[in-house]
Amino acid sequence: MAVGKIPPDDDFISFLAKDKSFADQIIDNSRSMISIINRDYIYEKVNIPFCKSQKTVADAILGRTLADVWGEETFKKHIKQNIDRCFSGDTVKYEATFTTPCAGQRFYEVVFRPFTVDSGKISHLLAETFDITDIKMSEKIATEKEEEFRRIEQMLEDRLLQAQKLETIGSLAGGLAHDFNNILATISGYSELLQEDMAKSSSSFQKVKKIQIAVSKARSLVNQMLTFSRQVEQEKVIVKVNDVLKETIGFIKSAAPGNVTVRSRIPKKNAPVYADPTQLFRIFLNLLTNAIQALEEQKGTISVSLSCQSGKKVQARLDKKIVADEYALITITDTGKGMDPSLLRRIFEPFFTTREVGKGSGMGLSVVYGIVTEIGGEVLVSSVKGKGSVFYVYLPLTSGTNGSSNEPGSRKKILFIMGNRHESNILSLALESAGYELTKCPVIKDLAKVMSGLDVSPDLVIYMTDAGSVSAEEFMRLLKAEKNTIQCILIDDPEVDFNEEKFVNSGIKCQHLMKPVSLKEIKSAIHMSLR
Amino acid sequence: MPGILIIEDDTDLREMLKVSFARRKYTILEAGNGKDAITHFKPGITDLVVTDLIMPEEDGLKVIMKLREIKPDIKIIAISGGGKAGPGSYLNVAKALGADAIYSKPFSVNEMILKIEELLKIEQ
Repeated sequence: MAVGKIPPDDDFISFLAKDKSFADQIIDNSRSMISIINRDYIYEKVNIPFCKSQKTVADAILGRTLADVWGEETFKKHIKQNIDRCFSGDTVKYEATFTTPCAGQRFYEVVFRPFTVDSGKISHLLAETFDITDIKMSEKIATEKEEEFRRIEQMLEDRLLQAQKLETIGSLAGGLAHDFNNILATISGYSELLQEDMAKSSSSFQKVKKIQIAVSKARSLVNQMLTFSRQVEQEKVIVKVNDVLKETIGFIKSAAPGNVTVRSRIPKKNAPVYADPTQLFRIFLNLLTNAIQALEEQKGTISVSLSCQSGKKVQARLDKKIVADEYALITITDTGKGMDPSLLRRIFEPFFTTREVGKGSGMGLSVVYGIVTEIGGEVLVSSVKGKGSVFYVYLPLTSGTNGSSNEPGSRKKILFIMGNRHESNILSLALESAGYELTKCPVIKDLAKVMSGLDVSPDLVIYMTDAGSVSAEEFMRLLKAEKNTIQCILIDDPEVDFNEEKFVNSGIKCQHLMKPVSLKEIKSAIHMSLR
Repeated sequence: MPGILIIEDDTDLREMLKVSFARRKYTILEAGNGKDAITHFKPGITDLVVTDLIMPEEDGLKVIMKLREIKPDIKIIAISGGGKAGPGSYLNVAKALGADAIYSKPFSVNEMILKIEELLKIEQ
């Protein structure tokens, strides 16, 4: 038969009655579930999609009540009131979730339309139910995407503001550091002048010595301030982040208290960056130490992972100009106390600390910020109060290799008496990458053995005092050297009781550095010794 | 008596250096900034210059270049306490420009005096 124009709602049933098989075809081909319900809430007609959703045939549904099909509770709660409204003459439209045997729980839009069969009274209603789950889901995804987008936008805006603020603080700190160093130079100079008028054994001499120690502490603080404001030039070599991370994790595992579990996932793949290994060690150590402190002596886990990310991905995440095709991403996660947003915004500022006065300078994270930014990287943090924090460190990867021939350190032979294994390994990494030839002596009592294995005597000895203490005489005997023929650099650990004065005054040509030592410092000390 | 010119804008620090050097029988000349140092430079009696790098008026790097122009064999020690470009990089530039020794503030004045003696010994 020819398809005429679709009749208005009120005439729908008469249209159905006229050509039943055609009407059946239409409603069975609909994608909606269609049914006709009478005033006793009983199904009088259902289409094929309806049957499919119930995983049954029409005969199994016809004659049954809605309460029977959908369950008493669902019927009373969600369906009955709408049907009653429809029977009073309204077209009712609503959204609800229903569970069907075929599809499980889905979102539906339900439309009830009243109609009359013959007497003019509303005797039935037509129920159309559309599955709108997909629409709902995509709406939900769109909302989530939008929220995520807003969140990222907010984060980037915060980061920009923060970067500008840190830049301002940095230049202030830099100016202050400059003036401060002048003052320190004056104090230190006069203290040396004072000592010239004193006997070395006098108590005044020792008091002046204390002034000098205070000056060197102040100097180190100023230096941290300058590191934050990126005004300390770093001596860079190509170093594998994975190697530095492994040593840092080894160090932290040996030092971490019992409540802390340290987990790490460091892939074997090399991630070379152009940086000072000692500075990288310092930033990872700072972040890990903070993570331990965030646990507040509660049981908790610190996870460290390393992965490589494409520059494009990093650009999308950071929304900044990228400087490399690939980046190393180091993630440090703790299950500690977390931070609220007001705190989070300020953590990279110098001298900002949540610890009690005297328990931390508040310089740690600002130094991390300075070092990471200086090598073209980025450090981000996210935190949930009470749940923990995650620090993300992005470092640009380099494809170059260390040129050994043109390095100033090439062919210089150094005997390295190692202290703490991990710290010493980092320093070895740095020195070897800078082109020095190292012979390592892991324990000082093996010094004689190591020396006897050498064909040529070393140009210089680096002695970390936490390797164990020996007297100057013993040192000379082990090295089989005369006092004035050997050049030595002492790296002093403030925790270790080592009488470096006696050592120096014994006549050994010796320079004295304090931990932590940067590659730049040790290189300039080596340069001074060997010129 | 060898002459040392101290160019340093911080008066306390300049005074300290003056007192320290004076003990070693040097003739001490002073300038509070680079411009004065060049205007009043006396090549005949100045053998060595200790100069700060970041100063008002003429900065230390220009001072090094100009002094070298006037007196090519003058010995130069550069000192810096950090600031805009940082002690490291500034000092390295100074070294590249021909400073004979470089020190970051705060430094050991005794060490500097040893260096001065060494530089002036080679000179004589």
